[in-house]
Amino acid sequence: MTTTTVTQARHAPSPASGKQSSLAGTWVLLRFMLRRDRIRTTVWVLSLGVLGAYMAQAPKAYADNEAELHDMATLFADPVTRMMTGPGFGMDDPSFERMFSAAYVLMTYLVIALFSIFTVVRHTRVEEETDREELVRANVVGRHARLTATLTLGVVANVIIAAIIFAGAAAEYSAEGSALVAVGSLAVGLFFLAITAVTVQLSEASRGASAMAGGVLALAYVIRMGGDAAEQGGNALSWFSPLAWTQQTAPYVEDRWWPLLLPFGCTVVFIWLGYFLSTKRDVGASLLHARLGRAEAKPSLGTPLGLASHGLLGGLRGWGIGLILSGLLFGSFAQTMIDAADDLPDDFAQLFAGDDMMLGYLAYMGVFMAVLVAAAAVSGITQLRIEESRGRAEYALSAPVGRSYWFGSHLTVLVVGVLLILGLTGLGMGIGAVASLDEGGGEYFGQLFLATFLQGSTVLAVIGIVAALFGWLPKAAGGVGWVIVGYGGIVAAFGGLLELPDWAYDLNIFGHLAQYPVDDISWAPILWLSLIGVVGITIGLLGFNRREVNRV
Amino acid sequence: MSENAPVIYAQDLVKEFGPVRALDNLNLNIAPGEVHGYLGPNGAGKSTTMRVLLGLLRPDSGVIQLFGRDPWKDAVALHRRLAYVPGDVELWPNLTGGEVIDMFLRLRANEGETNFSTKRRDDLIERFDLDPRKKTRTYSKGNRQKVALISALAADVDLLLLDEPTAGLDPLMEVVFQEVIKEAKAQGKSVLLSSHILAQVEALSDRISIIRAGHIVESGTLSELRHMTRTTIEVETEKSAQQLQGLSFVHDFHAEGERTVFEVDGDHIREVMDSLAGLGIRSIVAHPPTLEQLLMRHYGDDLSGRGVSSSTTKKVS
Ligand SMILES: Nc1ncnc2c1ncn2[C@@H]1O[C@H](COP(=O)(O)OP(=O)(O)OP(=O)(O)O)[C@@H](O)[C@H]1O
Ligand SMILES: [Mg+2]
Repeated sequence: MTTTTVTQARHAPSPASGKQSSLAGTWVLLRFMLRRDRIRTTVWVLSLGVLGAYMAQAPKAYADNEAELHDMATLFADPVTRMMTGPGFGMDDPSFERMFSAAYVLMTYLVIALFSIFTVVRHTRVEEETDREELVRANVVGRHARLTATLTLGVVANVIIAAIIFAGAAAEYSAEGSALVAVGSLAVGLFFLAITAVTVQLSEASRGASAMAGGVLALAYVIRMGGDAAEQGGNALSWFSPLAWTQQTAPYVEDRWWPLLLPFGCTVVFIWLGYFLSTKRDVGASLLHARLGRAEAKPSLGTPLGLASHGLLGGLRGWGIGLILSGLLFGSFAQTMIDAADDLPDDFAQLFAGDDMMLGYLAYMGVFMAVLVAAAAVSGITQLRIEESRGRAEYALSAPVGRSYWFGSHLTVLVVGVLLILGLTGLGMGIGAVASLDEGGGEYFGQLFLATFLQGSTVLAVIGIVAALFGWLPKAAGGVGWVIVGYGGIVAAFGGLLELPDWAYDLNIFGHLAQYPVDDISWAPILWLSLIGVVGITIGLLGFNRREVNRV
Repeated sequence: MSENAPVIYAQDLVKEFGPVRALDNLNLNIAPGEVHGYLGPNGAGKSTTMRVLLGLLRPDSGVIQLFGRDPWKDAVALHRRLAYVPGDVELWPNLTGGEVIDMFLRLRANEGETNFSTKRRDDLIERFDLDPRKKTRTYSKGNRQKVALISALAADVDLLLLDEPTAGLDPLMEVVFQEVIKEAKAQGKSVLLSSHILAQVEALSDRISIIRAGHIVESGTLSELRHMTRTTIEVETEKSAQQLQGLSFVHDFHAEGERTVFEVDGDHIREVMDSLAGLGIRSIVAHPPTLEQLLMRHYGDDLSGRGVSSSTTKKVS
C-alpha cells in the first residue's frame, strides 16, 4: 500500500476522512481474521441464521390449529411472559406469523448481540492484552486498521445472519414483516458491535470490555422488561432500550420501519465514538491511567484466603451490584403485575390472579436471579482456570500452600460470595416489592427473601459440578458450566414456548425447586441439590489434590 | 534426614507429555550449600525439572527427592524450605510489586510467626532499584522478574529454584544479582540456577549440569567439564606442524605460514606438546575450553569445529 507519511498523531477520528495511512493494512488484517476464525465465524453465523429461521417454524410446532393458537395468545396476555419475550403486538387477533414475532424473535436477538460483543472483543482488546497487537502494529498497519477490519467482519457476518433469517421467515410469512424481523436482527447486531467498539477502548482487560458491553445488553433487556410487562405493546419505558426498539416495529401487525432509525443512528454515533476514543489512548492501554498503589501488603493478603479474595472479589462485586439492583427493580414491578392481572379479560385469566399472580411472578424471578448468580459462580471458576493457565497458580503454589488449601480458599470465597449476593438480591426484591405495593407489602417481604435464598441450593449444585470438573477435567469445567447456566437461562425465560420433552426439562438444574411462595417449600430437592454441591466440591478438591498443575 | 543428604536428588527421572519426552532418564545431584548451574537450550526440560521439583508435575518414573522427601507428597512442608522464581513471571495485575513481595513472605512465614524481615526486603528493593508502589501490570519484564527475585531472596529458605532469573535484567542489575547470589551462598543456601547465560553460571556455580532433550549430557565442576573438552592451541613454529593434522585427537587444523591453530582433546595434550617441542616453538598460546565450547558440543548435532573456533577467537580477543 502506498501511503504518504502523515504524522499519525494528528489524525481526525473518523476513518471516513480519507486518511489512507490510518487504514493501511485493513484488508490484510481482515483476511487474517477470517483465516484464524474460519470455523468459528462460520459456525456462529450459520447457527445463528438457522436458529432465527427455525424460530419461524416454532409456532407451528407449538400450536396445531386455531384453538391452540388462541391458547398460546393467552399466554402472551400474561405480563410475566411479555416481560421475557417482548411487547406482544397483535395478540388479540393471533396468527402464526404474529406468534413468531411476539414469542421467538427476542431470543435470537439476544444471542446475536452476544455474538457481536464476543467478535469485537476477541479481535481488538484480546489482541492488545496479549501484546500480539504490538507485533502487528510494528508493521505497515494503520491505527484504525484493526477496528475497521473487526467491524467489517462483524457487519458482514450480521448481514449474512439477517439474510438467512429473512429467507427462513419470508418462506412462511409475509415479506414485509419478515424483512422487519431480519433488519431488526441486523440493527441489534450492529448496535452491539458499536457499543463494544467503545467499551474496548475503556478497559485494559478484555474481561472488563466484555463485562461492560454485556452490562449494556443486560440493562437493555431489563429496561424493556419493565416496559413490555406493563402493557401490551409496551409503555414509555420500552423506548429506552435498543432491544425494545427493534420490537416496536410490530412486524406482521403494524409493520413500522421508522423505529429502526434509533438503533442504526446510535450505531453510527457509537462507532464514531469508538474511533475517536481509540485515538486518545496508546496501544495496549486504556483511557484511564494506572495510579500508584501500596508499597506494602495489608496483612490479610498474606493468606491463601486473602489471595483468593483478591482474585475473585472484583468479579463478584460487579455481578453483585448488577444483580442486587436487578432484584430491587424486579421487586418494584410487583404492583404492575397486580394491575396488569386485574386488567385481564375474564377468559384470559389463567394461571394466577391478583396477589397470586404477583407472587408467582416473584417466585419465577427468583429462579431467574438464581441462574444469573450461578453464572457469577461459573465465571469465578473460569477465572481460577485463567490463574492456572497464566502460570500464577503455579507461582502461588510454590509457597507453602497446599493444593487443596489453594483451591479450597477460592471455593470458600466463591460460595460465600454468591450466597451473599443471592441473599442480598432476595432482600432487594423484597424491598422493591414492599415499596411498590399499595397494600399488604410487609407480609411478603420474608417470603420473597426466603424464596430467593432457597435457590442457593441450586447454585451450590452448579458450583459442585463445575468444581468437580475443575479437579479432574479442568479443560471442560468452564464450558460445561456455561452450558448448564445458559440452558437454565433459556429454559427459565422461554421454556414454556419450546415444547421440549419432559426429560429435557428435568435436565435443567434450575427447574427442580418448588415454586415457593406460591407452592409450599419442598425440602427434598433442596437437600439433594445441596448434596450435589457438597459432594461435587469434595470430589473437586480430591481431584485437584492429585492432578498436575497447569499441565495444559 | 541427615544433614549431608543431597538437597536435590533425581535418579532416572522420566516425564512425558503425550508423545513428548520432556525428561528422559534425568540424573541430578545437588549437595547442601551448592550453587548448581543448569544449562540447556530452549525446550531442553529445565522448566519441567523445576516443576517436578516443586511437586506441580508428577514424574512418570524414576526417583526424585528434595531434602530426602518426595516433592509430590510433601509439597507444603518442602515449600517452607524453598523459594521459586518462575521462568515466565506472571503476576496479579492489580497488586503492586510491594504487595506481591509481602504476600509471598507472609505465605512462607512459619506457622504462628507473623513477622518477617522487612529489613532484608527493603534492602533488596533498594539494591534492585524497584518501585514497589507500581501495579504489576505496569511493570516491564525485568521489573516483574525483580519482584519474583526479591520475594525469593528475602525469604528465609534453604533452597532457591531460579528458572532463568536474569533473562530480563539489565547488566547493572545482573551485577546486583551476582552479588546477592554470592551472599545467599555464603549463608549456606543451595541454589539451582537455570540459564542460557554462560558467563553468569560460570561465575557463580560450584557445579554445572548440561541438559539436552531431557537428559543430562554432562555434569561436574567447571574444571571437570573442561577436562572433557578441547583446548585450543595457537603456535608459531620453525618447521611445519603439518604432521599433526592427521592425528585422531587433533581437530580443526588451520595452518598459515608459520602460524598454526588447532584444537586438541583434553586428555591428549601431552602427546601434542611432545611433538611440538621438536618443531622449534617461537610462541605458543593455549586457551582453556570455555562454556560456549562445552555447550556447542552438546547443542549442535553438528560438532564440526567452525562454531567452536569462532567463539573461541571471540573469547580470546
Ligand atoms: N504442559 C506441557 N505439555 C506438553 N508439553 C510440554 C509441557 N510443558 C513442557 N512441554 C515440553 O517439554 C519440553 C521441555 O520444556 P521446558 O519448558 O522444560 O524447556 P526449557 O528447558 O525450560 O526451555 P526454555 O529454555 O525455552 O525455557 C519441551 O519440548 C516442551 O514443549
Ligand atoms: Mg523454561
